[in-house]
Amino acid sequence: MLDAGRHPNIDILAYSEVESVSGEAGNFTAKVRKKARFVKDDVCNACGDCAAKCPRKAPDEFDMKLRDRRAIYLYFAQGIPAVMTIDKNNCTYFEKGKCRLCERVCQKKAIDFEQKDEILELKVGAVIVATGLDVFDPTPMTHFGYGRIKNVITGLEYERLINATGPTGGHLYRPSDKKLAKRVAYLQCIGSRDMNYCKYCCTVGCMYAIKDAMLAREHDPEAVSYIFHTDFRNVGKWFQEYEIKGRELYGINYVRGRVAEVQQDKDGNPVVWYEDTRKREVKSMTFDLVVLATAAMPAKKSNELANILGIELDENEFVKLSAEAPTDTSRPGIFACGFCNGPCDIPEAVTQAGAAAMKAGELVLPEVVVGTK
Amino acid sequence: MVIGGGIAGIQAALDLADMGVKVHLVERRPAIGGVMAQLDKTFPTNDCSI
Repeated sequence: MLDAGRHPNIDILAYSEVESVSGEAGNFTAKVRKKARFVKDDVCNACGDCAAKCPRKAPDEFDMKLRDRRAIYLYFAQGIPAVMTIDKNNCTYFEKGKCRLCERVCQKKAIDFEQKDEILELKVGAVIVATGLDVFDPTPMTHFGYGRIKNVITGLEYERLINATGPTGGHLYRPSDKKLAKRVAYLQCIGSRDMNYCKYCCTVGCMYAIKDAMLAREHDPEAVSYIFHTDFRNVGKWFQEYEIKGRELYGINYVRGRVAEVQQDKDGNPVVWYEDTRKREVKSMTFDLVVLATAAMPAKKSNELANILGIELDENEFVKLSAEAPTDTSRPGIFACGFCNGPCDIPEAVTQAGAAAMKAGELVLPEVVVGTK
Repeated sequence: MVIGGGIAGIQAALDLADMGVKVHLVERRPAIGGVMAQLDKTFPTNDCSI
């Protein structure tokens, strides 16, 4: 991230969206809307004085809405570019025409309420699509109680809780009473491998549940973890060893069986009902916290972007690729990598990124590839 | 032009930039990093994600 921010050849256009791409491979013209932040990005040094004084709160999307940020905010502490942004939809000035407190406290005079969206026209030789994923919202699966039972959270919410920079400073305080969660259940395949939602396997749920349970034990030696899995799909280098390490070194309990229902007892503890497929019995277990390994899907606006780019998607809205060229989209000169191509983990996304970069490089630097340089 | 500033987009941009290509890295959120930046650690090495 930092390397990308510092690289002289990379121009980061954050808070921007692609509106159109015309032309052909080697000679595209892209129109990009650089959305108004109402903060001059070449002046702001992200000191945060404005956010400290801003009276208006809004849910922090980066922290999965587990805490509030201000209407003027830094997306996350290490974010690049390090520039504040005003959330127009939650700003008192934009709503009522009064306030501008941030403008008064900013010593750098970086606030600009008159700022407008800019349309940039870029001449590019190739386009790489790397729009990633959005996690599945498990609310419609009411039997797991997400949204109804406070101590049922998603995997990504757990990541923020266990993170030292997150809303609880890395302590696993459960949402209902802010008590430290000691007994945690991890429920696998929530919405994935499910004909009603995502038919496919998310490919990362098994591994991140093991990781999450390891982190719980690292934070608290008394932490007890149960992972309820369909079957472990730890396919990859060091992945099987990771599962064994989880059991032997971190004391994680693996239970083979999909969970039928999560209920709540009178103290707000989630009760997990499951079938123990080894013993062929229906059982229940009470926990402090339940973490749902939710499915991951192509990013929400993938369809819209595919129309803009004129590329085809498959039935699950992943980018349609050919077997011979797994980073080529249906439009020449446009390549794709990462989760938008299909479920993958970080190492695979990085590998695909290298391949897509190579294909794009081939197009814009032909002389290097044929070796005439 | 790379669309998406998550781990895949950042890596693709860096690889191209290292080849000497000028890259525009477009991200719809206020900062690059994507989902990976939200993670605490990453498997299978439990390395820090940022």
